[in-house]
Amino acid sequence: MANLSSLNTAFSGLNSQRRVLDVTAHNIANARTEGYHRQRADLQSLGRSAVSGVFSGTSQSYGVDVAGVSRAYDELLASRAIREESARHASGMTATSMATVEGIFPEPSDLGLAHAMDVFWSSFSDLANDPGSLSARTQLLENAQTLTTSLNRTSGELQAVADSARNRMNTLAAEVNDLADQIGNLNRTISSSFGTNLDLLDQRDVLMGQMADLTGAVARTGENGTLDVYINGRAVVSNTIVQRVDGTTGTLTWQSDSAPVNPASGDAQALTAVITDVVPRYRAMLDGVAAALVTGVNTLHSAGYDQTGTTGRNFFDPANLTAASISLSVDVAGQPANIAAGAPVLPGPTAPGALDGEQARLMAALADSPTGADTSYQSLITTLAVETRAANNRAAIQERVADSAVRDADSVGSVSIDEEMANLMAAQRAFEANARVITAIDEMLGFLIERTGVVGR
Amino acid sequence: MRVTSSMMMRSTLRDLSQGLSKLQESQTKLTTGKEITRPSANPSATASAMNMRQDLRRADQRLRSLNDAQGWLQTADATLTSSLDSLARAKEVVVRAANTGAIGDPVARNALAAEIRSIRSELLALGNSAYRERSIFNGTANGGAYDAAGTYVGNGASIIRDVAPSTSVAINLTGPEIFGTAGAGAGDVLEVLDRLATAVSAGDNAAMAVEHSNLDAATARLGAATVEIGTRSARLEEAKSRAEDSKLLLTTQLSEVEDVDIVEALIRVKAQESSYQASLQVAAKILPLSLLDYLR
Repeated sequence: MANLSSLNTAFSGLNSQRRVLDVTAHNIANARTEGYHRQRADLQSLGRSAVSGVFSGTSQSYGVDVAGVSRAYDELLASRAIREESARHASGMTATSMATVEGIFPEPSDLGLAHAMDVFWSSFSDLANDPGSLSARTQLLENAQTLTTSLNRTSGELQAVADSARNRMNTLAAEVNDLADQIGNLNRTISSSFGTNLDLLDQRDVLMGQMADLTGAVARTGENGTLDVYINGRAVVSNTIVQRVDGTTGTLTWQSDSAPVNPASGDAQALTAVITDVVPRYRAMLDGVAAALVTGVNTLHSAGYDQTGTTGRNFFDPANLTAASISLSVDVAGQPANIAAGAPVLPGPTAPGALDGEQARLMAALADSPTGADTSYQSLITTLAVETRAANNRAAIQERVADSAVRDADSVGSVSIDEEMANLMAAQRAFEANARVITAIDEMLGFLIERTGVVGR
Repeated sequence: MRVTSSMMMRSTLRDLSQGLSKLQESQTKLTTGKEITRPSANPSATASAMNMRQDLRRADQRLRSLNDAQGWLQTADATLTSSLDSLARAKEVVVRAANTGAIGDPVARNALAAEIRSIRSELLALGNSAYRERSIFNGTANGGAYDAAGTYVGNGASIIRDVAPSTSVAINLTGPEIFGTAGAGAGDVLEVLDRLATAVSAGDNAAMAVEHSNLDAATARLGAATVEIGTRSARLEEAKSRAEDSKLLLTTQLSEVEDVDIVEALIRVKAQESSYQASLQVAAKILPLSLLDYLR
């Protein structure tokens, strides 16, 4: 009975098109869902009866069936997008940190350390011009105080950058642990459930992307549809087993054996670099500036004589050779008369006249010393400028690379409303057509029932 | 390539934010008037700007030192000129004492001797001349150059000022350098005048003749000192005008490196503004497009 089998064929069409409509509706509903990959119902034609019919008999029957629902997901593009995104996070975080460090040094301007040093040297010059003037001496002490305070503050601000990076690392470790837990849980759900739940896969991919943004983690597909996550070659999630990380020390370590994680990319890598490299390096350079200042000035000052003929006093405290600690010595702090402006008279050495300003003039000339504080400070600023610029450039380039990687992945997976509308229309039309087939068969059957067997009536 | 509305939304937003951040950067440059807003904006320009700022402040400082030194030298010059006048008057007095009938008249001799003594105290006061309350002929010692008795109480140190990068000039002359050294040979000019007053009041012609020639020597020494001071003053003047030139040059160069070319910046802002507006308009046209509008 070919007619009745057509009924079944049309019925399978109705069913399948309804599934297609369902999937389309799901796509439209999730058009703006983060990490969602569009799904499609894979239809396949049937060479046999789709629904066993009483009247279908043994004759050949036709129909359609939904073989399954799959998601538009290109593993290569998706993993590339995740990798480039995590590199974007690393370079972006580095650029931000460098900009913060750069912001601590307001150069070139009249607010920076370079200006404070110039003013300091200049007051030595003024003292040399007028060694007897108390106001010139007081001015010098004031300017020296300003300079040491600026150095102290700058060093402290640099340390604050590292401290906030440490705090961030701590919360980052908590986030990584949380993400690892969620991925492990999803692994358990996915591997134990019958069939494939595409939406759970999408959710897990989103979590994986966040994990990579934080740590540069990479994913490998495990057994039963599970996802194993590795940071720098060591598993953080393996099937359902989660290895926890710890960030309390400022560097990311494994909780199990305290070995360093050494994240290869992501925020964690940039933060590690800030904590272990950038801040210590610039602090050391700033310490070099402070040390040059202390030793340079002290060498001349301790050889010089004050107005009463006293010599051998330090200007800066010789024990405080770092930018964080640099301070005036107890001999001169608050005691402008103790500043040694006079140069020793050779041979002897004997004390010079009370109004000699020669040593002050020599100290003022330290400003031009090729090994002096100004030169080291300038090279610090130049290094910082070049490094920040390079970090900015890398971030800008990575931004483009990551954008294009994400766009490529999106071009496969993201939902196009236009496309879904077209699918919707097609499915709707197909549904209507199948319904029409049923109507046609119904009419044919009706014709048989109503109009046959009435011959000669 | 398959393009979806969410992709377009994302890339449009990114382009818009890039356009806006460029606009903001140009705006910052315009409002601050500075081309280098942070060191990384242009590392090499930052380095040269820092150098120039340093040089500029050095030039400022040097000008301040030079002005001070010039005041010093001008005071010295005026003092030496007055001293020369006083010495010339002393010589006149000697000539008057020798030539006129004053020799025989003790009253007249004493009057002339008193005049010489007053010239001596004039010179003593000139020797103690001060610039900004500091004695200019006493080296680096505290207080005056000569005490009330006319003994030199300063030292022989020179006072040095930087006039140009790694060039310095001594700006002072000590008492012995202008008035001669006491006790050595004919002694200093104050001793000469002392002896002269005695010779005049005693009417000792021979002694007067000796001291007259000593006065000539003292005048020559003072004259030489005046020339010396004049030469140094000229050097300072030259150094000062060079420092002013280099300050002007540095200011110009610094402005070229640091400051925004307003016209160029304005044009840049205008261009960025219109490109931003264009992308806004395009976004407004393209983003709302959807098949939904055409399906019934």
